[in-house]
Amino acid sequence: MDTFVNFFLGGFANGAVIALMALALVLVWRSSRVVNFAQVGQAMFTSFVGLTVVDLTGSWILGLVIAIAAGAVLGLIIHFLVMRPVRRADSSGAIIATFGVLIALQALAAMIWGGDPRAYPTPVSYSGITVFGRVIAITPYDIFVIVAMVILVLILTIVLTRTKLGLSMRASAFNPEVARLSGVRVSRMLAAGWIIAGMVGAVAGVLVAPTATLSPNSFDIFLVFAFTAAVIGGLDSLVGAVTFGIGTGLLLSLVTGYSDASNAALVALILLALNLWFKPEGAFNHHKARSV
Amino acid sequence: MLTIENLSVSYGSVQALRDVSLTVPPGRVTAVIGANGAGKSTLMRTLAGLVRPRSGTVHMNGEDITGMSPEDIVRRGVALVPEGRSTIPDLTVGENLRLGGLWRTSAQRNASESRVFALFPILAERRSMRADTLSGGERQQLAIGRALMCGPQALLLDEPSLGLAPLIVTQILELVERLARESGMAVLLVEQNAATALRVAKTGIVLNLGQIVMSGRAADIASDEQLRHAYLGY
Amino acid sequence: MRDLMLRAPGSRFAIHAAVTVAIWAVLTWLNGSIEPQLSYYLALAAMYATAMFGMTILVGLSGQVSLGNGALMAVGGYVFALTSMKWSTVPIIGVPWNAVWSMVFAGLGGVIAGVLIGALGARLRGPYLAGLTLGIAVGIPTIVNRFPALLGGDEGLKLIVPYPEGGYPEAISQQEAAEQVPADDAFLDEFLVEELPADSATSAPADSGDLLTPEEAVSGVESGDLLTPEEAVSGVPTDAPTDAATDTALVVDVPADGVDAAAAVGSDFVLQQWQASVAIAVACIVGFLAINLVSGRQGRVWQAVRDDPVAAAVVGIAPAGAKVSAFVVSSLFAALAGAVLAQILTFVGAGAFGLGLSLSLLVGVVLGGRMSLAGAAIGAVLLVWLPELVDTVSGDRGWPDQITNNAPNLLYGLLVVVVVLLAPGGIMGAVSGGWARVRPQRARETR
Repeated sequence: MDTFVNFFLGGFANGAVIALMALALVLVWRSSRVVNFAQVGQAMFTSFVGLTVVDLTGSWILGLVIAIAAGAVLGLIIHFLVMRPVRRADSSGAIIATFGVLIALQALAAMIWGGDPRAYPTPVSYSGITVFGRVIAITPYDIFVIVAMVILVLILTIVLTRTKLGLSMRASAFNPEVARLSGVRVSRMLAAGWIIAGMVGAVAGVLVAPTATLSPNSFDIFLVFAFTAAVIGGLDSLVGAVTFGIGTGLLLSLVTGYSDASNAALVALILLALNLWFKPEGAFNHHKARSV
Repeated sequence: MLTIENLSVSYGSVQALRDVSLTVPPGRVTAVIGANGAGKSTLMRTLAGLVRPRSGTVHMNGEDITGMSPEDIVRRGVALVPEGRSTIPDLTVGENLRLGGLWRTSAQRNASESRVFALFPILAERRSMRADTLSGGERQQLAIGRALMCGPQALLLDEPSLGLAPLIVTQILELVERLARESGMAVLLVEQNAATALRVAKTGIVLNLGQIVMSGRAADIASDEQLRHAYLGY
Repeated sequence: MRDLMLRAPGSRFAIHAAVTVAIWAVLTWLNGSIEPQLSYYLALAAMYATAMFGMTILVGLSGQVSLGNGALMAVGGYVFALTSMKWSTVPIIGVPWNAVWSMVFAGLGGVIAGVLIGALGARLRGPYLAGLTLGIAVGIPTIVNRFPALLGGDEGLKLIVPYPEGGYPEAISQQEAAEQVPADDAFLDEFLVEELPADSATSAPADSGDLLTPEEAVSGVESGDLLTPEEAVSGVPTDAPTDAATDTALVVDVPADGVDAAAAVGSDFVLQQWQASVAIAVACIVGFLAINLVSGRQGRVWQAVRDDPVAAAVVGIAPAGAKVSAFVVSSLFAALAGAVLAQILTFVGAGAFGLGLSLSLLVGVVLGGRMSLAGAAIGAVLLVWLPELVDTVSGDRGWPDQITNNAPNLLYGLLVVVVVLLAPGGIMGAVSGGWARVRPQRARETR
């Protein structure tokens, strides 16, 4: 029972990061109907940028801020690269382009920073808290991650529901034509979606980097986790992404805890496959995943 | 005043509009009628910037708006209420309204909003409900309200009667007529239901196979039996 | 020309057969007249082409972007490795085992996996399918860790490559083996593993001498994971055995050393040529199958379903069936390619069949031209040649390894984006201008 609780607690922080990555995928999907498979590549790249800043300045926060800024810039650039085939109604092309970006980003990161795994520092301690004389699996850093996730989700919620930008983005996602007729510059809202997703992904990257070591393709596995969570959540739903991101993190933490870490990808795959078989549209969605 | 000169539109090799010229004067309703496929919706979508014309010009108050994007055209005072479901069901009624004219100052928008609520009180009541809870007539009011939020000087209404009960259609169209008269807005109304449209309109234009076959006083068109048989099918 | 061929299926078949045999003959001649190193590249290119013919059908013609084919190659590779290591007779049938049987079973494994993935994946829209197959590419290779005893776990399986009779390097050193170079299609029947000297696998000095320890091999796989396998592979033959301990030069060093040993005793048998002849034969057979499928009714069915599933259903095509069949065909090809890769590497391991391999296949087929089989072949050559080109260029300029090793991937990524943006038909599309015919622009509404 003790171990179960420990695995469970540890899973929350894991889940928070997956939730953020899934959120990034959902933000892009909502704005442009593209699953951005380069998202974790962007997060990896911006984490390296953040790490470089931390190495130079010693400031974790400054690293985070610069990483977020880099995420915004990358998101904007990639948006331009990927949206053209979408406009041509070449949906395969859009998917392929995101993979092209992923490959290029990983290679570029390896060129600049090398292929060896690097350790990313944490702002707070990353060792178990002692409660009543026993060490439990949750660390101050885990709590930090969870709090950061909650704050970010709150900010996102406020931006999307309470601001002109958010209203424009949501309208553009639901019905681009009506949005344009209302005067919303929809193409800018698409870009905004990619920019915000890039920023959210950057935060996710910086948060996960200390726990997973940072190397050009150490985040690949998170792409699978985040995609699984986003799809189960409905791919269109921010609430779904967060809920199932955390859920996926918890489940994987239990799997990892009771068997071993190399099972996580397989379990995520099974989860994804089951979901696509039985409920392809996801839990929070009314759009169709199946084509025939 | 919306002025359209020699407007031609084609979809590939199919010509949807041929040399259409008309003016939509302020303060009254101008009805465009015609059978299915006459090019009515194409005309409206072209005016709103959703379709690019092949030739011809569109001027709004003297400014050439031909080929501009919908976002820019609506900023110049031409707002379209497109055919069919032109509200966003996933947003609340209030959000659907606020979506219109986000670029305007908050004073302008507040003024527009109170006018819309005065015109369509039901929208004020349903403000915080999702748009998909509205009835068809209420949804059409919301769509018109959203367009009015853009502060248009020319309002383009594409088949507002579609799928609505006749009584509601009459109500809505009479409201629109009054709106045009009182605010000096130019209204271009496209309708397949010619009788209703001609009742509220001052001027009528009959479109057939992409060409204007007749234009004149609405009352004259409504009483021209031959024309009715030939183009309007009743 | 094309119309003529379409009108007469029989003659079309004959033309395809003639072209295939001609290509096979040219490649075989080429293989016999080039350096072993180049034969090695030829083997790799043929192996990639085999897998990518399937990608053309799946991604190009049937429009399903899939990343699962690397994992399907793993299925073929492992089936080949296991059956060739464990079987001396074919179960049930009871006939003596030979490598052709392993190829057959590898293909069968691919078909089964293809049916399973296809049944799930063919119902899904583009991004969902891409995501699912991404999960497959990442998740399936980890299965080896579940069955370490059988599948070798992280360390993978080192397999005894079935050489032609008496063709094993050490054996050759003892015999005069002048006529051992295989020359025709029947060669597959000749390489019976039992006829190898029983101890050759373990005692061949060149074989075990320079071999990395499993731990090294594994750490190499993981830290070099970024490199797609072809880079790890292609970096090798140019490297002298002194480089054997560097991390990227794994497994494949073994055959190279073996050849050195063979060359030292003056044998005519060249391992790389043998591997290339196997790879070329498989690629030609698969290519022949593919061209007949693609240019026949089935090809039109796949494209019809891709372009408009509803319209296809109206004219009596079952869209789901068409999509699953594209999966099955591409899985078969992928598994055969995987079996060939296992023979080229003389090794199967999760690292060799990871996401990198799947991405390479996608890169190759997109760059070459995702709508045509010729594009797949061009892409295959590109996958092998580009890293070499980069290597040469960087050697001239004296770039650091960190740049050189990653430049090919950077180029691949950027080229893929450029191709998708500017020339969606890839190299073949640019050459033939075929894209415009395939997909007319739909630009009536302004954007």
